[in-house]
Formats: sequence, C-alpha cells, structure tokens
Amino acid sequence: MCPERAGTRNRIARGQPEGALRERSPLVSCRGLIKTYVQGAIEVPALRGVDLDLARGDFATLAGPSGSGKTTLLNMIGGLDRPSAGDVVLDGRNLATLGKAELAELRLHRIGFVFQSYNLIPVLSALENVEFILRLQGIAPRERRQRALEALADVGLEGLEGRRPAHLSGGQQQRVAVARALVGRPAIVLADEPTANLDTRNAEELIELMAALNARLGTTFLMGTHDARVIARAQRHIELTDGRISSDETRPAG
Amino acid sequence: MLASLAWRNLWRQKTRTIISMISMGFASLLLVFMLSLQIGSYDTMKTGTLRLQDGFAQVQPPGYADDPDISNLIEDPAPIIAELKAVEGIAEAAPRAGTFVILANGETSYGAAVLGIAPESEVNVSTLGAALGQGRYLEPGDTDAIYLGETLARNLGLAVGDRVSLLGSGADRSVAADSLEIVGLFRTGVPQIDRQLAQMPLDRFQETFALQGEVNVIALSGKRLADVNRALPELRRIAAAHGLVVRDWAELQPALKQAIALDVSTSAAIYLSLVAVVTFIILNTLYMSVLERTREFGILLALGMKPGAIGRMMWLELILLAALGCASGVALGAPLVLWFQQHGIPVPGMENIMAQFGLPSRIYPSLDPISASAGPLAILASVALGGLVPCLRIRRLHPVSAMRAA
Repeated sequence: MCPERAGTRNRIARGQPEGALRERSPLVSCRGLIKTYVQGAIEVPALRGVDLDLARGDFATLAGPSGSGKTTLLNMIGGLDRPSAGDVVLDGRNLATLGKAELAELRLHRIGFVFQSYNLIPVLSALENVEFILRLQGIAPRERRQRALEALADVGLEGLEGRRPAHLSGGQQQRVAVARALVGRPAIVLADEPTANLDTRNAEELIELMAALNARLGTTFLMGTHDARVIARAQRHIELTDGRISSDETRPAG
Repeated sequence: MLASLAWRNLWRQKTRTIISMISMGFASLLLVFMLSLQIGSYDTMKTGTLRLQDGFAQVQPPGYADDPDISNLIEDPAPIIAELKAVEGIAEAAPRAGTFVILANGETSYGAAVLGIAPESEVNVSTLGAALGQGRYLEPGDTDAIYLGETLARNLGLAVGDRVSLLGSGADRSVAADSLEIVGLFRTGVPQIDRQLAQMPLDRFQETFALQGEVNVIALSGKRLADVNRALPELRRIAAAHGLVVRDWAELQPALKQAIALDVSTSAAIYLSLVAVVTFIILNTLYMSVLERTREFGILLALGMKPGAIGRMMWLELILLAALGCASGVALGAPLVLWFQQHGIPVPGMENIMAQFGLPSRIYPSLDPISASAGPLAILASVALGGLVPCLRIRRLHPVSAMRAA
C-alpha cells in the first residue's frame, strides 16, 4: 500500500471535506500498471508494473532508453490507451471506470498534450489552433478569444496570432502547441519529446517557458524526454528501464 | 466550428478538390441536360401527338372509349362547353361528333373516320388545319365542305374542288348519305391519319347523321398540357355533374404513355449508372483522404475531440464538396439548357420520322425544377449516404493507433 493512498483513506475516515482531500492527494496515481502489446502470437511487454504518484505542480521528466515505456506510460496517464492491468487515477477519477466519451471529456478539460512534432491543425491560424480547445470546451466566443490571446502572449507569440503553422518556425509552432495545451486550464500537461525537433536555442527557450508557466500557473508537467537540458531543469526526474521505474529523484526547486 | 473546419480542410488539397468538383459538376451538368432533353422530348411528343387530333383531354359519355359509336352522345353540349371553358387552364372546348363511313368516288370507295367539327373552336384544339397540303381548311359558315387526308383523296382519285360521296349509318340507325365538296387536303405525315381521316362542318354532320344538336366528345386544349392536367380534378367534377367522364392524355394515347414509361425505365438505368460511377470516384477520394489523415484524427482525439465530431466533420467536407460540384453543374447546365430550350436541337435526317409522330424537326429541352435538380440531388444523396461508411469508421479510431499511422 502506498503511503499517499493510505493517508487519503485515513483522512476520509476522519471526515475531512472531499475538495480539501483532493487538493492534498496526488494528481496522478498509477498502481501496478502493466501494458502488454500483442503482435500476432508475440506478447511485447511495455510496462511491467509501474507505481507512480505525481503531485500537483510537479515539473517532472520521464526518461529512459527507447522502448523503455515512456510514451506508453504517458498514453496511460493521458487516457489515450488502457493498461492491461493496474489503475491510473487522475484528479480523483479512476480512468478504468471511464468510457470512450468520458475519457475524451477528461482529456479535453483536465489534460494538455504537447507532441514531438507539434501537430497543430494546418488550416487554422495560431490563434485559432489555441482557440480550438476552448471551442471544444464550449467557451463563449469573446472569452475564448481573450483567453487564446493571453495564452499566445504567455508563450511570447504576440503579433503572430494570424499565422498558419506553415508560416511559423518549429520553435514557434511548439510554443503554439504549449499555449494550446495550457489554454484549457488543464490539471496536467503531458509532453512527449517536446524538444526533439527543435534546435538548441529554441529547445532551451521552450524549456524555460514551460518551467516558468509551471511556476506561475502551478500546472503539473510530465515530460517524456531524452534531452539532458530538459532533465536538468526538472524538479523531479523519473527513469524508466524495461517498463519499470528504475529511479525517481526529486531535486530542490530552482 | 465543424462547418468552418470542414470548409478549410476542403481546400488543403486544392487540386484533388477541384478535380472531384469537376467530375461531380460534369456529371450533374450531363444529368441536367439529359433529363431536360428527355422531359422536353416527352413534352414535344405528347403535345405534338395530342394536338394533331385528340386534344389535351376529352369529355366523353361513359363507355365511349370502349364503344365509340355515334349513338353514344352528349346531349345539349353548349352549357357544358361554357362551364369547361371557364375552368382555369382551359383555353378551348371543341365539340365533335364522329363515325365511320364509306367515302366513294364512282366505283372507288374507302373506309374512313369522319369528324364533324366546329372550325372556329377546332383550330384552337387541333393542328390538323395547319397540316394543310392543298386548298383550305374548313371555315365557320361552311356547309357543303369536307377536309380530307391527302392519301385518302389520292386513293379515291379526287382533288380539291371535286365532290366525294359519303355513306354511313345515322345515330338512329338510319342510312346516312351525303355528297360534299373537297375544300382542302391535309398532309400530317402520319400515314394512318392521312389515309383514313376526314373532317366536315358539325352542323352538316348532325344533319346527315340524324343528330339533334348532340355531339360525341368535347376536346379540350390549354396553353400547355400541364395546364390542362392541373385542371383535371375540376374538369372531372363538371363532367360528373353531367353524367360524363374525362379522359386525360394518357388515356387518349396509351401507347405513347407506355413508350414514355419504357424510355424512362431504360434511361433511369443509365442515369443511375452515371450517379453510381461518380459516387464511387468521390468515395474513393474520401477513403484516401481518411487514410492520409488518420494520424491527424488521432491527434484530434487526443486533444479531446469526440470521434463522432471528427466523423461529422469529414462528412461535412464531403457534403460541401458534393454540394459545390453539383451546384456548379446546375449553374453551367441550366443556362445551356435554356439556350437550347429557345433554339432547339436539330436532328438531321430524322425529319420524316419525327413528322410521322407529329413532331417538329428539332428537339426542345425543357428545364423545370425536376430536370434541374433530380440528377444533382441524386448525386448529392448518393455521395452523402455512401460517405457515411468511412465517416462512421472514424468513430472506431483509437487515438494511439491512429497517431501511429503513417
């Protein structure tokens, strides 16, 4: 039994308000997470029993060699894939109990994604790409526009709102992706190799940007990465080896 | 949001979109033109055939169609004619009496159908007067006059100005005989009419065949056949009040109706094939697009867009594409049809055959709401329906596997 979970149970027993408990409980809790891919007759284990808690406001990296299970773990936490065994609890909701539509709702409102290759919608401008999430959330047009503009300003893209992705550099596109991930006010941002396609300067700027947003907004970041600069900037570093957590170290902030 | 996204997505692959639009536009144009031509030719055939002899509809005594006997009569036709002419869409109501007679010139005799007509109203119902070959048509006030088919006159060895003897039986079964001067000969091009039909003044006919002002039928005309067809319920009401029946164009010309029905069924197969080919081309394009964009759909799913919304977006893209293609087909096809509707399409070498059916030597397409929309709407509906399959498949996409797609 993990200490956090046991603690939560004790606090519930003492009758504390649920909201307060939620605030103190980990944002993400993975227990006994196993994922095995079946390719024909061959079973390929990707995760072999992962226990992991992420607190609110964590700025964490997830590293490990190729095939260690980083992307699989991010997909499990993001509700994009279901584990073969074990549970993922995000913001108090066990993802195993949610249907396809509920998972989509959860991703829309509680999770932001940043992908390696930006994955902006090519026919929409930078502003519209950011607004897209708010449109899906059903936010009113005026508020939507205001929040999207603010999100773009937060990532330093004032003046480029009208540009389509094809007319933005890789670094600028990834900034738009970060703005898109954050504009819906998610509880956690999951970033898979966010700096992999960026040059050194853009990669460093992006890392600083995400760290600053984490500090200012308190949004939890979990980044799957090989990039030593990202790992060095993180407050917490989790290492995955062969589908298991081989190390999990927390460093002092700053 | 979906509509605006679908619209922009449509123009991501401009060339492909334009080619798809052109193929649907061309098919729509073709369907608009072919349907208009078909409807126009049917109108021409019906109008030409009916105007030559029958009129657009007829009021008859019950049973006259099966037993067209001179004794099957409409008594006191004048008030009925007045009522019929007052109906909207009816331009003329021409009284007629008819029977079969022997026409003779000395030793030579031929069987013929002779109609007693009122020239002043008949000219507004039948084009037989316009098919004049020699002499003149019957005129109001004529008493000693007969208007014959040119072939019939030739067979009898008679010409304009000669007299022809007529022998038949009256409505009272008495022997009816008369001798009339040939004032004109007609040449319709329809052999059966040219060798078997004659017209004479109604008053003289009634006198010769022992009628007391009665007639056998009242032939109706309007500006267009459609006007008379629309008036049929009112015509039937009036006829029924007088113990009579109305026979519409299809009852007057059942063979023509069958020929049209046969032509519709065979051409429908061609149209459906065309629609199916275009639909398959477009759906193939859609499938390619879905495959190419599977990764993008995975990203949208990851971002929280619901699978149904992505499917609807794709379907909207398809509908927009089909609507644009079909609209462009109508936009180009309609003016083309309207031009030919005014000027006609010549049918070289077919003049004689056309004339045999009482038709002009040019075919005039007819653009109406059905011919302008049926084909394009069939394409639109077929594409929309077929497009549901790939769009529903999007609903089954799994975000991770979709994002892994090349």
